Amino acid sequence: MRRDDAVAGGLFLALGLLLVGSGSGLPPGIGGLPGAGFFPQVIGGLMAGLAAVLALKPSREGPREAFTISNRRQVAGTLGLLLGYLCLWGTGFFAARTAVYLALTLRFLGQGWVPALGYSAALTAFVWLAFDMGLNVSLQ
Amino acid sequence: MTGEILAGLAAVLDWQVLSFLAVGVSLGAVFGSLPGLTATMGVAVLTPLTFWVSAEQGLAMLLGIYCGAIPAGGIPAILINVPGTPASIATSWDGYSLTKKGQAGLALGINALASAAGQLTSILFLAFLAFPIASFALRFGPAEYFGLALLGISLMAGVSGRYVLKGMLAGMLGLAVALVGLDPMTAYPRYTFGMSEFLDGISFVPVMIGLFGLGEVLVQVSDRHAGKRVASAVIGRILPKVREVRTMLGATFSGATIGTLVGAIPAAGGDIGSVIAWDQARRASPDKEKFGKGSLRGLAASCSSCNAAIGGAMTTMLTLGIPGDAVSAILIGALLIHGIQPGPLLFANQQSFVFSIVFLLVFASLLIMLIGMLGAKPLARILTIPRPWLWTGIVLFGTVGSYALNNAVVDVWAMYAAGVAGFLFRKANIPLGPLVLGLILGPMMESNLRRALILSRGDWLALLSRPILLAFLAAAVLSLLWPLIRARRAAGRNQEPLSSA
Repeated sequence: MRRDDAVAGGLFLALGLLLVGSGSGLPPGIGGLPGAGFFPQVIGGLMAGLAAVLALKPSREGPREAFTISNRRQVAGTLGLLLGYLCLWGTGFFAARTAVYLALTLRFLGQGWVPALGYSAALTAFVWLAFDMGLNVSLQ
Repeated sequence: MTGEILAGLAAVLDWQVLSFLAVGVSLGAVFGSLPGLTATMGVAVLTPLTFWVSAEQGLAMLLGIYCGAIPAGGIPAILINVPGTPASIATSWDGYSLTKKGQAGLALGINALASAAGQLTSILFLAFLAFPIASFALRFGPAEYFGLALLGISLMAGVSGRYVLKGMLAGMLGLAVALVGLDPMTAYPRYTFGMSEFLDGISFVPVMIGLFGLGEVLVQVSDRHAGKRVASAVIGRILPKVREVRTMLGATFSGATIGTLVGAIPAAGGDIGSVIAWDQARRASPDKEKFGKGSLRGLAASCSSCNAAIGGAMTTMLTLGIPGDAVSAILIGALLIHGIQPGPLLFANQQSFVFSIVFLLVFASLLIMLIGMLGAKPLARILTIPRPWLWTGIVLFGTVGSYALNNAVVDVWAMYAAGVAGFLFRKANIPLGPLVLGLILGPMMESNLRRALILSRGDWLALLSRPILLAFLAAAVLSLLWPLIRARRAAGRNQEPLSSA
């Protein structure tokens, strides 16, 4: 059994069991016809069964590549900056907020301040013009 | 019929429609030639831009991106051994070998010509066989549609490569996500957690953008070598000689046929088709040993096949309303937003529109061939753009595009969550295709099964008296078992030499 397969299998197993459990709280249907709870239970049951096989069987699927994330700091930073940007969605001016987010992300990914600021301003202006002005999507 | 064909052509021969097509093909060429940017991502990110134009104009742009990105995906595969799109994996095997031999130009020329041949062959298939398929599909009731949806999902599990079990689990997850929202038959809220934003379910497009856009960006950030730029290559001669064309004809058209058929299978796309076609060309070739080392036949077969999958996927999408691959899944969403329901009725009620699509595909194929021949050198220069600039552009377009769908922040969060999931799934070798298919086909499978059961008054056995449903069920079971049978056969073959030794 591979450790990453066991972890993935365990997560899917938990989700499957959750679906089965929550599906039993939904209307079961009447007169032999399935109700709203039928599909969640079927899908959950199948998912739990397959996940148990994945978690427990000696894996023959694919090459033995371990689940590794390189450059974790950069991945986490990229996600963190985007998370901060999304949390601030709807506050302040779109253009200013977006340009700052882009510049910080580019700087974080190793770009110099000057090209980062220039590219951020240009990309923000393009997106704002295309969506807000051109397509009438309110980005504020 | 002639009137419908002419009406379809007239709708396309409008300068605005042709301009949208040209823009789409050009954008597709950019998306395809940049490793990490796929046709799926291009269509998904730019779909919101088409909401404010007519159906023909919007579709022209999206089909242009689709037809432009796949052949352009071969450019980085040939020049730097990095497939621009998943469909051009097999292109890199012989294309890059030709580049190493100083024949990059020839490889790019073959890529452009064989891609156009593949696309045009599959469009012929669409034009001449789509109507018989559609008239057959008109006999479908809820039970048959349930069987078709089940077959689509089971095929995805079968074509998940080496990760069959994980593919099936990903499909189940897609089905589970599709449960969110109102129950399709009783309108009972499921997994909405009391939030009105979830009553309509989770929008498909933001999930697609997250999985294929943000997820891919995170993978590249994780795998990147800081500050690395992709070097340009010497191009050289582009046009193949007549003798070389003659050598490649058989492989090109067998590749096109395989690509069309594989593309027509729900959610099996050019990536699988090109590998199968390359392998078939190798088996049929007198110079098997050259394959993978710069074979023109191998390159032509893979290029024509991955492009022929476009016509195959469009046939399935238009006639049955089933996505042939991830791009056609997004195209279905775009068509629905324009009030057009793909499926058998489209062929009965809007024939001229179907012919418009056929003509758009033909023009897009010819245009991308021209771009491929003339624009190979400038496109190769785009590869030198710093990756962080591309990444931030993708993320910003994905975020704003997701929001613009419904002016809803919940869609942006769905994109973010799907992006994280897409990244982790790639790292864990969990195929994303089945997840998308489950998300799309889940509601179709559930609502049609329950409708069929209402019609049969709850009698499950009555469903088994329907021959088309039975055929679909048998095909679904076979596609699920086939990978296991194949694995067992391979294991048996491996054991034979050992026991004889």
